[in-house]
Amino acid sequence: MTKSLPINPEEARAPRMIELQDIPVNQYQKTVKDEKDNFTKEEFMGIYRDMRLIREFEEMLMSIKTTNSYQGMEYNNPGPAHLSIGQEAAAVGQAFYLDKNDYIFGSHRSHGEVLAKAFSAIRKLDDAELMEIMESFMDGKQLKAIESIREDEESIKELATSYILYGILAEIFAKETGFNQGLGGSMHSYFTPLGIYPNNAIVGGSADIALGAALYKKVNRQPGIVIGNFGDGSMGCGPVWEALAMATMDQYETLWEGDMKGGLPLIFNINNNHYGMGGQTKGETMGYGNPARIGAACNPRQMHTEAVDGNNPLAVIDAYKRKMKNIEDKEGPIFLELITYRFSGHSPSDADSYRTEEEKDAWRAHDPLKTYPEQLIEAGVATQAEIDAIDEYVVGKIIQSVKLAIDPVISPRMDLQAEPRAIEDLMFSNQKVASFSDAEPDMLQTREELKENVRVKQIARRERYAYDENGKLLTPNRRYQFRDGIFEAVIEKFYEDPTLIAYGEDLRDWGGAYAAYRGLTEAVPYHRFFNSPISEAAIIGSGIGYAMAGGRALVELMYCDFLGRAGDEVFNQLPKWQAMSGGYLKMPVVIRVSVGSKYGAQHSQDWTSLVAHIPGIKVVFPATPYDVKGLLTSALNGTDPVIVFESQRLYDVGEQFVKEGVPAEPFEVTIGEPAMRRTGSDVTFLTVGATLYRALEAADKLQEEYGISAEIIDARTLVPFNYEMVIESVKKTGKIIVAGDATARGSYLNDLAQNIQNLAFDYLDAPVQILGSRNWITPAYELEDDFFPQADWFIDLYHERIAPIAGYTPTNNFTDGEILRRSTLGV
Amino acid sequence: MAVPVIMPRQGQSVESCIIGEWHVAKGDKVSAGDKLFTYETDKATFDEEAPSDGEIIAVFFEEGDDVPCLLNVLVIGEAGESWEEFIPEGATADGAGAGVAKTEAAASVPEVTTKAEAAPVATTAATAPSLDGEHPISPRAKGLAAKHNVDLRMTAATGPKGRIIERDVEAAIDAGLVATTAAGHDYAAGVAGSGIGGAVRVEDLAKLPELQSLEGAALIDQAVLSLDETEYTDDKITNIRKVIARSMHASLSEMAQLTLNASFDASNILAWRNRLKDLKERGMDEKLGLAILDRIPTINDIILYAVSRTVKKYPDCNAHYLAEENIFRHFNRVHLGVAVDTPRGLMVPVVRNADLKSISQISAEARDLAIQCNEGSINPDKISGSTITITNMGRSGVESFTPVINPPETCIVGVSSTYEKVRSGKDGGIELYPAMTISLTIDHRALDGAPGSLFLQALIQTLENFDLFLMGS
Repeated sequence: MTKSLPINPEEARAPRMIELQDIPVNQYQKTVKDEKDNFTKEEFMGIYRDMRLIREFEEMLMSIKTTNSYQGMEYNNPGPAHLSIGQEAAAVGQAFYLDKNDYIFGSHRSHGEVLAKAFSAIRKLDDAELMEIMESFMDGKQLKAIESIREDEESIKELATSYILYGILAEIFAKETGFNQGLGGSMHSYFTPLGIYPNNAIVGGSADIALGAALYKKVNRQPGIVIGNFGDGSMGCGPVWEALAMATMDQYETLWEGDMKGGLPLIFNINNNHYGMGGQTKGETMGYGNPARIGAACNPRQMHTEAVDGNNPLAVIDAYKRKMKNIEDKEGPIFLELITYRFSGHSPSDADSYRTEEEKDAWRAHDPLKTYPEQLIEAGVATQAEIDAIDEYVVGKIIQSVKLAIDPVISPRMDLQAEPRAIEDLMFSNQKVASFSDAEPDMLQTREELKENVRVKQIARRERYAYDENGKLLTPNRRYQFRDGIFEAVIEKFYEDPTLIAYGEDLRDWGGAYAAYRGLTEAVPYHRFFNSPISEAAIIGSGIGYAMAGGRALVELMYCDFLGRAGDEVFNQLPKWQAMSGGYLKMPVVIRVSVGSKYGAQHSQDWTSLVAHIPGIKVVFPATPYDVKGLLTSALNGTDPVIVFESQRLYDVGEQFVKEGVPAEPFEVTIGEPAMRRTGSDVTFLTVGATLYRALEAADKLQEEYGISAEIIDARTLVPFNYEMVIESVKKTGKIIVAGDATARGSYLNDLAQNIQNLAFDYLDAPVQILGSRNWITPAYELEDDFFPQADWFIDLYHERIAPIAGYTPTNNFTDGEILRRSTLGV
Repeated sequence: MAVPVIMPRQGQSVESCIIGEWHVAKGDKVSAGDKLFTYETDKATFDEEAPSDGEIIAVFFEEGDDVPCLLNVLVIGEAGESWEEFIPEGATADGAGAGVAKTEAAASVPEVTTKAEAAPVATTAATAPSLDGEHPISPRAKGLAAKHNVDLRMTAATGPKGRIIERDVEAAIDAGLVATTAAGHDYAAGVAGSGIGGAVRVEDLAKLPELQSLEGAALIDQAVLSLDETEYTDDKITNIRKVIARSMHASLSEMAQLTLNASFDASNILAWRNRLKDLKERGMDEKLGLAILDRIPTINDIILYAVSRTVKKYPDCNAHYLAEENIFRHFNRVHLGVAVDTPRGLMVPVVRNADLKSISQISAEARDLAIQCNEGSINPDKISGSTITITNMGRSGVESFTPVINPPETCIVGVSSTYEKVRSGKDGGIELYPAMTISLTIDHRALDGAPGSLFLQALIQTLENFDLFLMGS
């Protein structure tokens, strides 16, 4: 969707061949002896030490998981532990060149990558920087915990090594002194000060998140590369494919300009251990032979895809050296397959019934912890005694870490009885950060030039209150619309926060399906505002990674119905990372979601309830131009994930409630506070989203025809939600209908109703009623009035279940019998 | 050929009827037109007649059973003929109303309520009884009723499914139905009230288990209020009202009650009270050392006091008439029964030896007893042994009424509201004066109208000259 790149039919229809280059596999076959001149002895020995530390760390966990003891110390660890025994060379080889500015993301099996990356980064930092990190991270909590061994350490780097081993192990053991206060655990242990970003318990979950971090690095001109680590099993996951698609978009080369032109600093690193749990990816569950085949297909550059021997640390180091050069040349992203093997089961509870002992034995001959030290001795780099000394050192180091981590005094667990709000306080960060960078924002128009922006001029001609001086409703073209509120909130933020990027489907040039973004194309450069592929998972997931890395993302799902396509990202990733980091990460991601109508079963659903159900996301549903501008501004100023639902029925409504009109300058509407739309005395309508306007219609009719006075409250926000106004209203009226467009069964309306009933039971004159859509597919537009709540539904419900109206005949059936009948049938 | 006889549907809103009395039994020969059984709706009692000649070969229900309309009740045929095919749902054996419900929930046909696909009906005031015969009530309406002391038994239920809602309580308040407090949640149909006016007293509730029988079930209220706004309003008869009606009727039929009404000029007692108030306002209580100013007696206290003194001269009025024991027991002392409304029902605590007590003592004691009754902490000894009872409807705007005697007493003194009355003035014109009515019900078995009216007159004179009376006593 860009006029600058015409699609030429002659070219499109011309006969030709798409040529694929060969994909190198295991081309590097050198040993220590071959590389003797290229590494120092310290580097060679360091590689061994790191691999050995990882092996011992994992075997310690295996011992604790299977025998409740390690080296005579008793401990029971009921939590998960997915071990990478056998894959140490891949982890250490990968980390060799990485420093703290390079970010790695991992999987459930990432202890090895985490430790290797930490050890590498420690080597590259000076003592002062290391002390600064250890003393400042969580106010030195971990450093205090290892206080008792501090004086024994020979150097700051040794202390830092102990610090990392302890912090990760305490985290695995769910201790408050873990790097994430014990809230991440084995599958989500990480340490961002050294560039170690979250591992992910969802297979392939890190792919689009890593993509987002790479976007952050690129757009904000930050040093370092980003590596997404996942296993071969993840190659069956849709979001991984989506991440590959979005990471290899042509526009980085064709449309992004200046220093932004060029590929992402991103490596998709597949640790191919040949099993996705028990499913054998080669020969059974996948058809690629090697995952590298997939990477090579993604773009003409074939992502510089290569498969290398992941059991040879030197092969991995060699590959990384070359791939990091590709990235420096802006030829990213890279697809790298590291061929390896895990000796341990998927987890200690895995009995390995899907493979033979013969197979495992065969691989033991290729165990890097066997072959690499042999090479060291063979090449004359080390003696057996030196190898033995390292082994002894490693065991001592791990014993020390275990001793500290299992000590209930040094390493206590979070006490939720003593501090019942400890986790509660971490669910949202609730901060206000106007900008995440001091840099000058990249814009195509200055603020002065913006006055001539086509959209800005259009808005300037519109009245900011929907009625003229005679109380007549202005036509859509004469009034400031809901979509104008979106535009004003967003354009302001683009000037204020240089890290803000916005993307989604069909946004640039077109202005989005509902023209909310019309005018942004002229004002904002490509790298801050672009069209994504049709990859909802990657749209949301990359936003998460972008925010995790330090920026602010505004992403969009064109239809609420597409939420399902981003289910893992919205339900498992976005809401979790603030609390799972122990409060260390912020998640300033705002998702705009358009709720449809007129477009049938897969384009007209209100899924606010699904999102509201998941702890850790703020959910807003503005229904007026004033509110969408104010709530979006609040969301964009905040540090929490916010999903802004927008009804497609409302994009052209004017501001009917705030008589002063929608202010031109920025302002905030507090997230979590409902709004009184009309006062009344007989019944309260609490509405969610666009239902507000049908409630108003019902209120008019009730007043005019039956003398019943309805009070109307617009929820505006679902999570969080302050009930005070509603409870006060119910104390007055004694009756309430909670209404929204979501299908009624299991909807958030029920949650609202339940809480109102709890909080105002003694004031109720009738059970709290909810009014949602029918539990059907959304039918065609022409049939929608029988599906979505209409004005007369309010009155029918009031008559049937709250207070019968003399002389009234309802047309909709809200009787007991009908409720039972529908429930029995599940409709 | 065997012919079943169904329970007829007497009107569209009637869902079931109670079998009142059987006129035939299984095996009886009947002719067409013979009375088979009587059955009751909440509005009336009907007789069902035999549609044809024959023998009663099956009876499915017993007296008191609440039978859903259109169900087979009995079968007429020839001896030995098969009738099993006519067994209605809910009755399993001949002659036994087994399984037939005593409650509305089971008496209604389940399929109707659970599988109804009927379009909603434009009901404006449909009511239906709940399981225990009471109407459900919204929390809000309940709170409002408690605040205003509304008698929920008298309240219409216009909410969905017969629920009493706020507007019903508001209507009751507007209608002044705030005089007595319901026995409410403790009350159950079928309890015969032994209190004043047949009200259910606490001790009556103790008899509940044995009385919760067919008669109780028969009282389950199924009335549906049909409303024709232009002509008239049919209000539902509540269960408690039915019980009261029966008890009152029993009381009246067993005794020979006669009520005498007389109004009097309340100027004197009102002026007397106002004078006390005035003194108190001016701080004279301390200066004069008058205990009476600590708590100024209420109108009711004044009447209690007047009765305690006046009745002494009319021993037949301060007596128990124990007909079965052939005893007419006259008391030496006056023990005043004082009707008190409580959340648990009407209670009658007793001010003992009232004739020996000052008005202040009576006032204080009556107040304490009322509090104890309301709190439920009253000693049972203090709610029995009265010799004459005073019941006050002064708060409810009643001009006069017929108090019902608290057996075995011979009299009850009813006090109504004060209201303005006209009379010819001294200058020949018309003047207004505050009037009150004393309604004295006497047991005509124990005393005649004349002595009764003498007591009433004496009481009125006492009250009309209350300040002088106090001085003289």
